[in-house]
Amino acid sequence: MRHLSISVQLLGTAAVIAVLGVASAPVLAQEEVTLRIAVPDWPPTRIMKQLADEFYVAPSGKKVTLEPDFIPWPNFQDRLSASLTSGEQRYNMAVSDSQWLGQFVEGGYYKKLNDIIDADPELQAIFADLNPNLVDAYSTYPYKSDNFYGFPQMPDVLISYYRSDIFCDEGEAAAFEGEYGYALPCTPEDFGNSDWEMMRDFGEFFQRSAGEMLAGEELTDDFFGIAYQAGKGYDFSTMQINGFLWQNGAGIWDETNQPNAQTLGVVNSPDAVTAFEKYLSLLEYMPPVVKTGGMDIFKIDELFREGKVGWIMQWIGFAESAITPDISRVADTVAFARAPGTRKADGSLDRTANIGGQPFVLTTWNDEETEREAIDFVKWWLSKETQIRFAQAGGQSGLQSVYTSPEYGTYRPWNDAFGPSLDWQRDVWHVPEFMELLTQQQEEFDKAITGQVTAKEALDAIAVFQDELLRESDRIQ
Amino acid sequence: MAETALNDTRAPLGITELRAGNWRLALLVAVIVMTVSIIALPGEISFWVSLAAVLFVGLSIVINAWGNSPGPLLVAPALALLVVMNIFPLMWSFGLSFFKFRVNRLAPPKFTGLSNYEKILTDPTVWDRLQTTAIVVVLTVTTQMVVGFLLALLFEREFPLRRVLLMLVLTPMMLSFVAVGAFFRFYYEPTFGLLSQAVRVFTGEVFILQATPAGAMAGIVIADAWMWSPFVMLLVVAGLVSVPKYLYEAAEIDRASWWRKFRTITFPYIRSLLLLALLFRTIEAFKLFDIVFLITDGGPGTSTETIAVYVYRLGFQAFRTSQASALSYILLFVVIVLTNLYLYFARQRDAQV
Amino acid sequence: MAWRKRREIGKAGWGWTGFAGIISFIYFFPVLWIILTAFKSNADVLSVPPKFLFTPTLENFVSVFRRSYIPGQAAVDTGFDLFFFNSIYIAGTSVALALVIGTLAAYGFSRYPLRGNDTYMFIILTTRMLPPIIVIIPIFLMFRLAGLSGTYTGIIALYTAFNLPFTIWMMKSFFDELAPDIEDAGRLDGSSERRVFFKICLPQVRAGLAATAVFGLILTWNEFLFALLLTGIDTRTIPVAMAQTIGGDIGVRWGLLAAIETLFLIPVIVVVFALQKHLLRGVTFGTIKR
Repeated sequence: MRHLSISVQLLGTAAVIAVLGVASAPVLAQEEVTLRIAVPDWPPTRIMKQLADEFYVAPSGKKVTLEPDFIPWPNFQDRLSASLTSGEQRYNMAVSDSQWLGQFVEGGYYKKLNDIIDADPELQAIFADLNPNLVDAYSTYPYKSDNFYGFPQMPDVLISYYRSDIFCDEGEAAAFEGEYGYALPCTPEDFGNSDWEMMRDFGEFFQRSAGEMLAGEELTDDFFGIAYQAGKGYDFSTMQINGFLWQNGAGIWDETNQPNAQTLGVVNSPDAVTAFEKYLSLLEYMPPVVKTGGMDIFKIDELFREGKVGWIMQWIGFAESAITPDISRVADTVAFARAPGTRKADGSLDRTANIGGQPFVLTTWNDEETEREAIDFVKWWLSKETQIRFAQAGGQSGLQSVYTSPEYGTYRPWNDAFGPSLDWQRDVWHVPEFMELLTQQQEEFDKAITGQVTAKEALDAIAVFQDELLRESDRIQ
Repeated sequence: MAETALNDTRAPLGITELRAGNWRLALLVAVIVMTVSIIALPGEISFWVSLAAVLFVGLSIVINAWGNSPGPLLVAPALALLVVMNIFPLMWSFGLSFFKFRVNRLAPPKFTGLSNYEKILTDPTVWDRLQTTAIVVVLTVTTQMVVGFLLALLFEREFPLRRVLLMLVLTPMMLSFVAVGAFFRFYYEPTFGLLSQAVRVFTGEVFILQATPAGAMAGIVIADAWMWSPFVMLLVVAGLVSVPKYLYEAAEIDRASWWRKFRTITFPYIRSLLLLALLFRTIEAFKLFDIVFLITDGGPGTSTETIAVYVYRLGFQAFRTSQASALSYILLFVVIVLTNLYLYFARQRDAQV
Repeated sequence: MAWRKRREIGKAGWGWTGFAGIISFIYFFPVLWIILTAFKSNADVLSVPPKFLFTPTLENFVSVFRRSYIPGQAAVDTGFDLFFFNSIYIAGTSVALALVIGTLAAYGFSRYPLRGNDTYMFIILTTRMLPPIIVIIPIFLMFRLAGLSGTYTGIIALYTAFNLPFTIWMMKSFFDELAPDIEDAGRLDGSSERRVFFKICLPQVRAGLAATAVFGLILTWNEFLFALLLTGIDTRTIPVAMAQTIGGDIGVRWGLLAAIETLFLIPVIVVVFALQKHLLRGVTFGTIKR
C-alpha cells in the first residue's frame, strides 16, 4: 500500500499541476494554504481553532487556514488510524496520543522533525523552554531517544479533585482526627501532601450509606470517599496503575533499554505485585461501579460532578466541567491539589505518575510549502503569547517560562497543581506494539479489578504475554 | 413463475467463443488476471490492472447486451456497483490474507501462503472468542425467538390502536447503536442506573449486574434481544396470520386442547418462519460488535469479547492487517454456511405454501 | 398477492388493547426513558432516585443546534441542521438510487435469468452479510484514488451498494410473484418490453418498493462505521454527531445525546408508521411470500 501511495502522490501532483495550470492563470492576490489537521473534539482543540482564526498571521504573508477535522473522542483513534494507514493522505497534521508515536512512525506516517529543528534556532529555543519530561513524552520515539516527532498540543496530568465542603468541615475534621490521629487536610497545600495511606483513611472515613450524616447534612444516597481509574476501556486503569508501580520501585517494560530489558521478573516482580495489590486494596472504598470494570475517566467525572464521591484523581482536562455550575453539583465546593504519592522512608513523597495529553505531529506527505506553513504554525502555537492565551482560555502550557510565571496560577483554579506535577511525569511505551500491549494488559488488570484473578496472576499473565510479543518483534533477546 | 414467463431467444454463447460480447469469457479472464496480478505484482500496479479488468468485463457485458436480450443490460449497473464497492475490496483483503503485512510497518507485503490461516486456527484466543460468540448467539437468539413469539401472539389479532402499539414495540429496531449502547450501559450502572434503583427499592442494596461475567453477558443479551425481538415478531405474525381459519374452526368442533391446536395447526405454519428468523438472527448475532463494545468492552476481563470485537482488535488495534483478513475470511466461510442454510429453509417454505 | 386469497386476521376488543398496551409500554420503556431524558435539565438527568416527574425543558434541544464547545464562551452553531440535512440527503438519495438500480436488476434476474442466476443472487446476498470492518482499508484506498473521501458522491455510492443486495432480493421476489398472464396479455396487445415493465409490472410491486425503501432507510439511517470514516466535516451524518456527545472533557452529555436521538427518531418513525403494513416483506429480504 505504501508503493501505491507514492505513485498516487505523483499522479495527484501531476493532476494538481495540470488543473492549476488551467484554472489559476490569473495570479491570486494572496496565496492560500489550508492546514488540515485531525483532532479529537474537545475544548483544547476547539480553543486552538478559535485562537488560530482570531490571531494567527502566517509570517510568510500567505493566508493560512487551520482546518481541524473534529472527530469524536471515543472514535478518534479508529478514524485517525484508518485515515493514515489507508494511504488516504488526507491530513497535513494530527493530534495524536503520545503512545501512538511508534505505531504510526514505523508505518511512515509521522514526519521526523530532527532536520527541521536542527535548522531552526527558534524551534530549538522552544524545545529548550519545554519541560524535558514533556519533550520525552510527546516528541520522542523510541521513548527518550533523540528522534523527535511531535510538539505538545495539550499537556495533561493527573491531579486531585476534592470536595472542600466535606474535607474542611469542622465536625468531620474533629471526628477524623479522633479516629485516625492526624488532621484532615483542607487547603490545597495540605491536601497535595497526602499519601496513599491517607487516601485509604479518607476512603474508609467518608464511606457512608444513604440516611447517614455527611458534613452536617443527611445523605439521600450512598457516598464514597475516593475514586480513581479502574476501567476496562482504552488505558483507563493502566494510567493509574503505572503510577503505583513506579512509586513502589517497580516498573514496566523499559523500551529505552532494548533489547536487554526484560518483562519476565520485571513486570511481575515482587515490588510490582505489592504495588498492584496496594492499588487494588483501595478499590473497596470506591463507588460500586468499580466492580464492573466501568470506572473509567468518564464515570469518575460523572460521579464527582453528581456529588457521589469526596475525592477523585483525574486528568486536569476535566477540571473545567467540575466547576461549571450548569453541569456540576459541586461547582462551588470543588478544590484542586497535586495528586497523592507514596511516602518514602525520609518522609518525602514519590509522586511519579503517567502523563496524559497529546502532541501534534506532521504527516510525511506534505509538500515543502505546506510543511513550512505547518512549522510556522507550530512555532506560533508554542510562542509565549499564544500559550498564555491558551492557558487563560482553559488549556495548559508546557513552556517553563509560561507555567512557572506567578500569573499562571491565577488563570484557572487548578493551575497551581499543574506546574509542580510536570517534574514527576513519565510515559508508557511508545513502541508500535503499544495497542497490543495495552489491550492485553487492560484485560488482565480488569480481571484483577473485578476479582477474577489475584494481582500476581494478572501480572504473571501480562509478563508472559509481553515477553512473547516483544520477542516476536525482536525487541527482547 | 418467472421461469415460465421467460422468452429467451438468445443463441447461447459458448464460453470459449472468442467474441467481444462473450462476457463470461471476459469474466473468467479478468478473474485470472486479477488473481495473478494481485499475487505477483506490487500493489500499485495490481490495483490498476484489476480496475482495467473490471472495466473490460463491464464493456463486454454491454456489448453482449446490445444486440441481445435486455437481461444483462438490466443487471449490469447493479453488478458494476457491487463489484467496485463490495467485491473488489473483498478480493483485495482476500489477497492480503496470504501475505505477511501490517499497515503500520514500512515492510512491503510478503507472500506467506496459508500461514496466516494456520496462525489463526491454532490461536487459542480465537477459539475462546468463538466460544464466547457461540454463547452470545445461543442466548440472544433464543431470547429473541421466545420474546418475539410472545409479542407475536399479542399482535396477531386486530384490535383498536394496534398500529400505534405495534409502533411502540418496533421502535427499538430503529434506534442507533450509539444511543442504545450508551443508555443500556447507563441503565445497568449501579449508582445511577434504573435497574439498580429498581432492585434497590426491594432489597435496599444497589444491584451490580455487570460485576460477574454471567451478569455482563446477560446485559449484552438483554440489550440485543430487546432491539431485535420485534424482528422475530414480525416474521411470526406473518406466519400466524397465514394459518387458515377453518382449521381452527374444525379443531374447535373436535374440542382439541390449546396445546394440541398449537402443535398440530399453528406450529406447522410457523415452523419454517421460525427457522428463517432463527437463521437470520444467528447470522446477525454472529457479527455482534457495537453492543458488546459499548456496553462491556468485552469485560470483565475478556469474558464477553465476541469474535467480531476480536477482529477489530486484531485489525485496528494490533495492526495485524493480514491476520485480521484471514480471520475475516474464516468468518465469511461460516456466514456462507449459515446463509446457505437460510436459503435452503427459505426455499423449503416456498415449496410448502 | 391479489390473486391469492388473503387469510383473515383474528379480532379482539379494547380489553386486548389494554393488555397489549401494558406489554408494549414496558417494552417501549427504555426508549421512553431516552425521550424523557431529552426533556430533563442537567440537574434531573442523573438524579437518584430517578425522576419521573420533572419540569420539562427544551434546553437540550436548543443545545443540539447551538452550544458552546469551549466552557464559558458563547454558544455557536453546531452544524446540526447540516448534519440532519446530510442524513436525510445521503440516506434518501442512496435508498432511491438503490431502488432504481436494484429494481432494474431484480427485473432482469426475474425475467431474463442468466446462466447461474442463483449463484449471482447468492453472491449478491453474501456481500451484505460480511462484517464491514474487513473492507474498510481497500474502500479507503479507492476513495482516495477517486478523490471521493469526504464527498457526498462517495458515501452515497457506498450506501447505494450497501443497500443493493437487499433491494435486489426483495424486488426479485416481488417480480417472481406477479402473475405472468397480465404481462403476456400486454405483450399480445403489442406493448413494448419497456411498456410492460413500466405500465404493467411496476404498478403491481408498489408495496414492495415501499417496504424496501423503509428497510433500506432504517439501515442506512443508523449506519455508523462508514459514516465515521468516510465523511468529512461538511458531509457528516447524525450518528457521528451523536458520538460527539460522549467523552472529551466530560463523560456523556446525557440530555444532549437523548435529544439528538429523539430528533433523529422522528423522521424514521414517520416513514415506518406510514408504510407499516409493508414491513413484513422487508424484514426477510423478500424470501417469504404470503
